Order: sequence, then structure tokens, then C-alpha cells
Amino acid sequence: MKFPSPSSAEAVIAVSGLSRHFGPKAALDDVSVFVPRGSVFGLVGENGAGKTTLIKHLLGSLKAQTGSVRVFGLDPVLDPVGVLGRVGYLSERRDLPSWMRVGEFMRYTQAFYPGWDEQYAGQLLEQFQLDPAQRIKTQSQGQQAKTGLLTSLAYRPDLLILDEPSSGLDPVVRRDILEAIIRMVAEEGRTVLFSSHLLDEVERVADHVIMLQRGRVVLNGRTEEVRRGHILAVLAFAKPPAAAPVVAGAHAVAGYGSEWRVLFGGSRLELETAAASVGARVVEERTPTLDEILVARAGGKGS
Amino acid sequence: MQLKISVQDGAPIYQQIVEQVKYLVAAGRLKPGDDVPPIRVLAEQLRINPNTVARAYLELEREGIVTMRQGLGTTVTQVRTPLPRREKLRILAEPADVLLANARHLNVELEEVITLLRERDAAMLPESFK
Amino acid sequence: MHVGRLAWRTPTGAMLWEIWGRHKLSFLWQGAALAASVFFAQWKEHGAPKDVAPLLVMASCICFLGAYLYLLTSFAYIEVDARRVQLGFPGRLLLKPLSTARLVLAPMLFGGLVIVTVFAIWTELVLRHFGSVATSDLLLISAVLLSFFWWMQALAWGLPLLKGRVLVLLVVGLIHLLVAIPPQMPVRISPGCQWRILAALLVSAVPAAWIGLKGMREGRWEGPSRISVLWGRLGSARAQGARKRFGSAFGAQFWLEWRRQGLLLPGISGGMALLMVPCMLAGLKWLGAGAGPQDEIQRMMLVLPLLVLPLVLSLLMGSALARFDPLHSMGELPLYIAVRPMTNGGFVTAKLAMALATSALTWLVMTAAFLCVALMGKETLLSKAGLVTPYGPVAFITGCVPGLLLLVIWTWRNLVAGIGAGLTGRTWIIVAFIFSRVLLLDALILLVIAAGSHVNFRQALLHWLTGILTVCLAAKLAVSIAAFAWGLRRNAITARAVGWIAGGWSVCGLLVAGYAGRVCNSIRQPDLWLWVALGGLLILPLADLAIAPLALAWNRHR
Repeated sequence: MKFPSPSSAEAVIAVSGLSRHFGPKAALDDVSVFVPRGSVFGLVGENGAGKTTLIKHLLGSLKAQTGSVRVFGLDPVLDPVGVLGRVGYLSERRDLPSWMRVGEFMRYTQAFYPGWDEQYAGQLLEQFQLDPAQRIKTQSQGQQAKTGLLTSLAYRPDLLILDEPSSGLDPVVRRDILEAIIRMVAEEGRTVLFSSHLLDEVERVADHVIMLQRGRVVLNGRTEEVRRGHILAVLAFAKPPAAAPVVAGAHAVAGYGSEWRVLFGGSRLELETAAASVGARVVEERTPTLDEILVARAGGKGS
Repeated sequence: MQLKISVQDGAPIYQQIVEQVKYLVAAGRLKPGDDVPPIRVLAEQLRINPNTVARAYLELEREGIVTMRQGLGTTVTQVRTPLPRREKLRILAEPADVLLANARHLNVELEEVITLLRERDAAMLPESFK
Repeated sequence: MHVGRLAWRTPTGAMLWEIWGRHKLSFLWQGAALAASVFFAQWKEHGAPKDVAPLLVMASCICFLGAYLYLLTSFAYIEVDARRVQLGFPGRLLLKPLSTARLVLAPMLFGGLVIVTVFAIWTELVLRHFGSVATSDLLLISAVLLSFFWWMQALAWGLPLLKGRVLVLLVVGLIHLLVAIPPQMPVRISPGCQWRILAALLVSAVPAAWIGLKGMREGRWEGPSRISVLWGRLGSARAQGARKRFGSAFGAQFWLEWRRQGLLLPGISGGMALLMVPCMLAGLKWLGAGAGPQDEIQRMMLVLPLLVLPLVLSLLMGSALARFDPLHSMGELPLYIAVRPMTNGGFVTAKLAMALATSALTWLVMTAAFLCVALMGKETLLSKAGLVTPYGPVAFITGCVPGLLLLVIWTWRNLVAGIGAGLTGRTWIIVAFIFSRVLLLDALILLVIAAGSHVNFRQALLHWLTGILTVCLAAKLAVSIAAFAWGLRRNAITARAVGWIAGGWSVCGLLVAGYAGRVCNSIRQPDLWLWVALGGLLILPLADLAIAPLALAWNRHR
């Protein structure tokens, strides 16, 4: 599948033909991603699909075995200072220094970034209700996530990379984090790349969606286009098929008797043609959510 | 301005915003001259991408429901700019199609649909809004 | 309940099986150490050459200490949770329907039995050959070991969350030591008194363990203890005050390194010195007040371990200092460090600066310990300064300063070498590194001993020494140049840093050569100068400094 790629001049992230093997297993297989400035990219996929591996390549923690990785036009392995100075990162496992206090961690981080905004940091501190004298190891998960986000946002990075920012957090904290991210997005020219399992978050916030499956890019486009490229339909069969019908272009088929629910990738016309070819007609249809698309493409068992 | 966005809903988010604002204006909860929240604020409130809000506002402006002014925010238009009648009917044709398709599916006669429309219109008047 | 092919009918059996299962491999190693020591002992008994004998004794002692200490910890039945570093009784067992008494007694009794039995085996097979010790003394030592073991368990189970637990353990160890060797101590205790104290310690250990574990089971230790709350309040008061920013990224990174690991080496050296000083004082007393040169040398040899300790420790701990966060495994960099916009060279510089500061502090501590021994031992070693130089004690002290500096740099150099290996993050490299260093050390010791005893060998060695040293130096330079070139190409180090390192090395080398020249002239051995100069250049780190940034780059970008 050919995915559109803007010219690399305006791409904040330009990954092309990236492959990565851990032993015999291919974590990434010919992945190409172009993230233009000012956009919000959602990275989705099941556990082990390669999202964290891709993100590690962007940070220079992994070297590209084949293909190239460029962030702000620089190679993160050869020029860590140039790249990382403009990137804010929050990892899924938080990976914070548990022995430090919040205030100490802020001071430590501040020394590395000349663009640290003291006032903004103070604002975030108040808003997140964090105590600068508290040790990070005594904080709850939500507070740790907020601490990590604070120290990633305070220097106003040009690119914010978030690996499952809401994982394991209660709805209140999730709300705070999402609001902080949106506030940053509203500022000119900031780019956000985040991976998440909470697909309704991705749908709300992301302009573009990339879906990885077993290390390959299977979907890449604007959020609504991706959604509109799929149809969740109910097919009625004149004669109930003995086993699950095979419909060309369908990612998931489930049901019983004469009515089968199908998640179809393609236009309405293609759906009708495919349905007709197996002797069924479309009785109900709607646009599926990203969640339904992901589950269907990943598991092949539609809801 | 209280809006509710549902991702489960089939419609795109900006469409939902447009629809709801139009409803609020029609129901009188947003009067001409009222300020509509800035893009950033609404995006934070609803926790959605500001670009989506911007798109919704642009659509609303195109349909003449709001006016966006540089630096002064967005307000509901004082006077409904007269859209050509053709344009208005074109806008109404799509939801009408949906309504009629559903009615056909549910085996409801056209006369009953028209009666329903009259009832709903009466219920939307500001005096009867509790 | 069936596990594999074994059926455990009792919980006790299951617990013991778990201990066995966890430490199977280490028991194998201990068995191997025992076998090796038996071999050494037999060899010494049946006609080993005179100069090899002390080496055999040393090797056997090292095997014994290593194996026995590991045995103590494996039967102490404590678990470390890498995330929260909580040493204590395995928490999951506290939820089983077992009485606290059974939980306490099973590891204690069984462990105690194993400890005493293994000690008896070692004594019988190995230690007996190295000197005669009375049976009553052996009994005493077994009782001391048992008591220490039980108290170690009691403390580990009862105070799992106490931060100063290591200190308490040290104090307990000291008490046991004092009980074990009182006849030589300044304080006089009669044997009867010894046994009474031991009995009291033994008897009180079990209830202490029971109370501690019961407390843990009831959640009495949950939450911050009153001490830590107080400490926390002091800490936050301190944190409020010190709110100034770091001047640079280097400053911040150095602060992190120092806070995390700066006190590790001085702490361990100090702790071990604390245990060694009483032994040395006892030894000095035992040696008596002989005035002959032999006695002087014996006294010097007794205090020598204080000098050697930091050097040996730095060899072993260099790789540990390579970690950025002790709570992290020795592998990948913690992410909050890896994503900082700092070059690999920058990280390495901060770490090396911390290593230098830590070495300096360690030697400060050792000097204090040395002074303790010198002042408390009745026949002061200071007055023996005349043995070393004819210029009097003041010159001796001022002459010590460059010596101390050299020791600091030597310690630093050991740390740097270990850090270079540790930064790679690959365990096999670290193990290979330590192994090769120990091997090198042993080879050097053997060389010195052989040269000391065989005149022909010594003459041949001295004849070729210049050549050997030059070749080694050339190899070092070659490796360094290659590493620098590669580092520059891979952007792991800046040209300025290369200049500083190479320049610093050359200047320090010249200083060493100059100082050596003066000293050699004054003791009228001018030919010694070349060897000392070359040796100094070889000791001063260059290749290690060149390789360290590359090692970090290899780890950071996998």
C-alpha cells in the first residue's frame, strides 16, 4: 500500500524502510512514517506490535538496522543533543528516578534545557497538584505520570512523544493529562506523537492514525479517512451458510444463522459487490469506531 | 456552552459540534451576539484536538451561524445572513434523507412523519423549554 | 502437593526446597571452592615449595570467605525486590496459613544447622592444615557464627524498611567480633563472661526474629517509620532551602552521580576499616614490642591491608559505579537519563569526575583509619618513620602527600577501568573484565614472588623490563589512538575532550617522571628512573578514558 508522504523538509519525523529484528523475530518490518509539523499522530496496535520499538528508534535508544530514521532532519544516534534537546518524552513505565524528590528532578531536568520555562513549570506544578518535596517513590502511579509529563512539557519541546501516557491511570488523572497535551497542541508548531490503547482518546485528539500490526504498518492516514475507509455492516443471507462466510475484503466476520456482522475495508460499492458475490444483501451499516477497526484487524473476530 | 461529544457515534467529531451548536442556536440557548468559547478553551473542555474545533467553527461560519473575528473571538451572528434558499434546502436534504430512510425501515407512513415533525417543532419553542 | 517428581507433604519441606532451588548453582560453586581449597591444603601439606605456600593459604582463605559468606546470605532467606529494594522475608509466605513461629524456626534452625555443619567441614578439611586452633576456640567461633547468622536474619526480617539497617548490622557484627577475640583486645573479658554474652545473644535472637516477623505480618512496619518521617521533614526543610539552579548540565549530572553512588566506595572502605582496625590493634598487641627490623616489617605488613583495601575494592567496584541508577539492573540506561540531550562524552565526564571525588574521599577515610591505628597502637608507627627516610618525621609526612595523591589516582584509575567495562551494559563483558583483572593481579604477584626467590629469573626480568614496558606503552597508545579516532567519527567524543585527555595524560606523565627522577637521584638509583617513569605512564589512564564514551554509546544506542 502506498502511503502519502510529505516532503522531508517539513517532516518532523521521517522514518523510511525501517526494519528491526530481535533474534529471529521481526519487531519492525519495512516501516515508513512521516510526521509533519504541527500534527498529532496516534500510534495504535496491539501489545507487541512494535510501537515502543519504533519510539525507541526515534529517541536513539535503538540503532536502525536497515532503513533510516531522521528527527528534525537529524539522526538521533549521531546527534543526540540536537534531537533530544527538542523532544519531550514520557514512557509507559514512567522510568523516573524513584529516589529523587519532585523538586530535585525538576531542577535536574532544567539544567539540560535552556528553553525551560520556570513560570510554566510552576503553573503545571500547581495544576497537577504535585508536592515538590515529595519523593517520587512514594507517589501514586497517577502522580508519577503527572511528574513525568511536567518535566517533559516544561521546556516547551517541539516534539512530544508519549508512550501509553494513560496506561494504568484513573479517569481523573487521564483527563488532566489529556488536557495538558491539548493545551500544548494548541500552541503553534508543536507536534505530538503518542501511542495508546485507549482508542477513544486517540480518536478525539489525533489528526492522523498509524496502526502497526506485527511490525508492519497496516493503516496510515487521517483519522476520519481511516474510519470512513471501513464499514461495519450486517449482511443477511437468503440461505444460512453452514460456516462463517468468507467475504472478500472483510477483516472480521461474526454472527449466527442468516445474519452476519462484517467489518469491511473499502467503499460502499465494493461492499455491495462483495456481499452480492456470496449471496447476501446489506441490511444495516454504519461507520465503525477505531476500536472496532483495531480489534477486527488484529484478531479477525469482530464484535 | 455545554456540548457532548461521543466517539461511538458514527458522525465525525466536528460534525457533532456543528450539529449541536446549530441545535443550541435554534433552541434559543445561544442567542445572537453571544460569545462562543475560543477554540483552545473548547478543545480543552471537550478534550479533543483543537484542529477539529477549528474545523467545526469554520463550517459554522460558512453556514453563517457564527462569525469569527481576528482577536475578538467568535460570536453568534446578529442577523442570520441570508443564505440562498437553494443552499438552505440543500443543507436540510441530508438529514431529511436519513429521517425518511429510517421511517421506511420502521414502516412508518409519511403522514405520521409529518405529524411528528410538527410536534417536535412545537416542543422546540423557547417558551416550552424547561 | 506434587512439584515435578517430588511430593512435599509439609510446608517446611516446601520452604527448604525453595531455598535449595534458588541457590542450586551457588551451592555448586561453593562445593567447587571447597574442593579447590582441599586440594590446596593437601598440596601444602605434602611438599609445596616454600614460597608458594603463603599463596595457597591466601587462596584457600579467599575461597572459604567467599563461599561461607554467600552461604550465610542464601540461608538468611531474604528477598530483594528490584523495583522497591525491599529486603525482607518473602512477603507471599506471610499470607500462607502458617504460624509465625514455624516461619521463623524453619529457616533459622535449618540454616543454623547447615552453617555450623559447613563450618565444621571446612575446619576439618582445610583450615586445620593452616594452623592449630584449640577445640574450645572452634566451638566458640561456631557459636559466634551461629549467633551472628541468627541476628542477621532477625534484623533482615524485623527491620526490612529501616534505612540504616546496614549500620545496625555492622554494629552487631562488631559486637560479635569483640566477643570472639577478646583476649587480644584492649578490653579484658574472661572466657566465662564470653560464653555468657554469647548465650544471651543466641537466646535473644530467636524471639527478636519472631517479634520482627510478627510485626511485619501485622503491618506494623507499613508506612514510613517515625524516624523516616522525621528525616523526611528535615529533608524537605533542606530541600526548601537549597533551591538554586544548577550552573550547567555537567553540574546536574555530577550531582546525580554523587548523590547516587558517591558515598558507596568510602562507605564500604570505611565499614571494612571499622572492622579491620580492632583486628589490627589486636594483632599489634599480639606481635609484642619487639624492636628488631623483622618485627618492624611484620608490623608494617599488618597495617598493609588498609592501604591495599581501597585499591582492591576499586578494582571490583568500578563496574558497579558504571550504573546510573543502582535500582536499575546493570543493563540498559534508565530512560530518564538516556533521553537527556547530553553527549555520551558528557555523561562519561560527569561519571569520571564523581569517581575522582569518591577516590579522594575514600583515601581521606583511610588516612583517618590509619591514624587511628598509628595513635592507638602503643608502639606508634610514626616513630618508625626513620625506617623509610632519614629526613625525620616531618619530611615523612610531607613526603606522604604525593604518595597519597598517587594512591588516589591509582584508585581512580581502577575505577575508570571498571567503569569503562560496566558502561557497556553487557554482563559478560563485566565478568570477563573482572576475571581478567584478577588473573593479571595474580600473575603479577606470582612474578614478583618468583623474581624475589630466583636470582637468574630476576636478572633476566630486569634485563628485559625496559623492553616489556615500552611494548606495553606502545600497545596502550595504539589502542587509545584507535579508540579516539573511532569515537570522533561516531560523534561519541569531542575533539576538545580528546585534547584535554591526551594533554592531561602527557602532563601528568611528565610530572611523575620528574618526581621519580628526583627521588631516584636522592636515593642514588638513577637507572630506576626509566622504569618508574614508564610504569607511571602505564598506570595513568588513557585507553580507559578513550574507550569509556564508546562503551556508553554502544549501550545507549543498541
